[in-house]
Amino acid sequence: MNMLVIGCSHHVADASFRERVSFAPNQVSGFLDSYYEKFPESEALLLSTCNRTELYVLADQSDSVPSRMDLIELLASRHDVPVQELDSALYAHRDSDAVSHLFTVSSSLDSMVVGESQIVSQVKQAYELATEARPKSPLIHRMFDAAIRVAKRVSTETKIHENRVSVPSVAINVLAKQIFERLDNKKILVLGAGEMSEETLTYLKAAGANQITVANRTAERAVSLANQFGGQTAAWSELHHQLSLADLVISTTGASEPIVNVESFEPVMKARKQKTLFILDLAIPRDFDDRIGEQFDNVFLYSLDDLQRECERNLNSRKNQWPKARKIVQDETELFFRDTRRRASGSTIAQLKKQANSIKDEELKRLMNRLDSVSDKDREQIEKSFHRVVNKLLHPPLESIREDSATDDGQAEPVGLLDAMKRLFKLE
Amino acid sequence: MNWPEKISITCFAASYLVVLAIELMRMYIPRSAVRSTIKIGFAIAGLFSHTVYLFYRANVSFDQSGLWLGSWFGWSLAGAWLLAAAYLWLIFQKFNSPIGIFLLPVVLGLIGWGSYVGSETQFSAVREKSIWSMVHGVALLIGTAVVALGFVFGVMYLIHSRRLKSKSISKSGQFRLPSLEWLQRYAERSLLASACFLGIGFVSGIARNLTGTSSGIVIPWQNPVIWTSAVLFGWLIFASIGSRIYQPSRNGRKVAMLVLVSFLFLVLELGIVWWVGHATGGEP
Repeated sequence: MNMLVIGCSHHVADASFRERVSFAPNQVSGFLDSYYEKFPESEALLLSTCNRTELYVLADQSDSVPSRMDLIELLASRHDVPVQELDSALYAHRDSDAVSHLFTVSSSLDSMVVGESQIVSQVKQAYELATEARPKSPLIHRMFDAAIRVAKRVSTETKIHENRVSVPSVAINVLAKQIFERLDNKKILVLGAGEMSEETLTYLKAAGANQITVANRTAERAVSLANQFGGQTAAWSELHHQLSLADLVISTTGASEPIVNVESFEPVMKARKQKTLFILDLAIPRDFDDRIGEQFDNVFLYSLDDLQRECERNLNSRKNQWPKARKIVQDETELFFRDTRRRASGSTIAQLKKQANSIKDEELKRLMNRLDSVSDKDREQIEKSFHRVVNKLLHPPLESIREDSATDDGQAEPVGLLDAMKRLFKLE
Repeated sequence: MNWPEKISITCFAASYLVVLAIELMRMYIPRSAVRSTIKIGFAIAGLFSHTVYLFYRANVSFDQSGLWLGSWFGWSLAGAWLLAAAYLWLIFQKFNSPIGIFLLPVVLGLIGWGSYVGSETQFSAVREKSIWSMVHGVALLIGTAVVALGFVFGVMYLIHSRRLKSKSISKSGQFRLPSLEWLQRYAERSLLASACFLGIGFVSGIARNLTGTSSGIVIPWQNPVIWTSAVLFGWLIFASIGSRIYQPSRNGRKVAMLVLVSFLFLVLELGIVWWVGHATGGEP
């Protein structure tokens, strides 16, 4: 199997360039059709996400794989990007590097947020589009089945997916769910209407929250945020009353001093009848006096620093999983090539045996025609003798091919020896 | 020898031990579907053999003398069975929570206690076969199991709450407990249910004494078993009703403390019952 991948990702290109070379899902089929018009001898798959656009091409014969420049010209013809610009911006990987790259991508080790789970479904989607464009694509099937298997192994055998690494996602998907069983019946109070509030509310909505109240010193922004997330607004003067009603508070105001201290919080807690309260203080400087979390039993107060520490721990935990995940990718790449080489050499071995047996049978037939009155017992001995000769002659070359296919020299096929064998014995 | 006779305590105790070992492994080894399947398989196998064992022994004992479940031995094993069944139910309710780490030691403790006291400590046949004795025994059994379950939820709540307060969530790794809200709700429910069952047990115990006395209504309040039972029942009523009416006592931490105290009361009462030989045919 021969493989080439060209493309760009967030590692090498900024968002504006990635946008210029990306494909919408409905454009992929058209592109693959034009690819097959030009290069019918190979198979292709296009992976296009917000962080990467990559074209994978595969073929049994190395001369059937288009060159890097062929692919760049094809991409340039579909996008309004000069060939020279693409040439300098796109990376290319071949054969074992290409396979290893695909496995790394599918297992999210190459993602912007390492360990995110979206990439594997994007790879699956690209795989489906490729097989729709050309249903008979045996190499694509093998390659991408393996890629999805590797992604699954990395996901189940490491903890790389387990811990979230952004502040709002840790706050809602990790912390809030450890306190509350469900969020759809919880009252959410948002203090301030900044970007962090918006991002946190996105996670809250996804988690089912629907009783949202926004309080902001500037009413306009509060109304806009409340409308965006189907919530309501409250006057800033009602702050303490709203605090007594809420289950979860997200605070992101730009106040230069805490807006709630222990003294002002005591009556709130009395009014709440000590009901559990989760406060996410995402403001800098803090909106809530830190002592509130220490002095009241059922109040869980987390500041931005606490959450960032949590994110860093999670990120470090993912980094610790990196070598293990890389080892899986490396092992699977070697396994894939060993299997590919075994398949390639298997077909040559079968051909060689068939050819040798055919010669043996012909010669045996000729000999028997020339000999008179050979007993059945002698005939059997002669046949066995011919068989042994063929086997003994074939044993060393076949053994060499098998040994060669078992070694890992980074080649998709045991090229040198297999080619030599094919040429020496005039195999197809 | 028929097959139920071959099932011994070791069979199900060993199954529960394997499940506990698998639960403990989650603290060090990442989640795996295979491990979860093995865990559920062993839990089901343990509960099945436990059920067969109880049925078989109960039948044999009933044919011979009286209700085998009325002995300390059978009572402990039946209590352990209830908790093991609750564990299996909770596995499916909270698939990834390490509830077994807290609950299975109680199950194994009850099995160990039952094995330690042995099956010779039988109730007398006359008392076992009265309807009030049956109700008394079954209600106390279920009530005890529910108090133990509440104790487990309470302990889990306090550990989880402490961890959240100290902001060390990620250090827990695979040791993810159910949410505080869930633990509080189930601790409250177990408090209420245990009050109901132990109340039924207490009242049926009094009724049994009344029906068994020819000299009129005589309740021996001076007996420590009676008054500790009354105190436990009173406490559970107070805790259940109090936590419903007085909102601040529904604070999760307070509910957890209430179920822990209930468990301590129960252990104290069972200890007294054991020492005065209540269940072995002594007075009352």
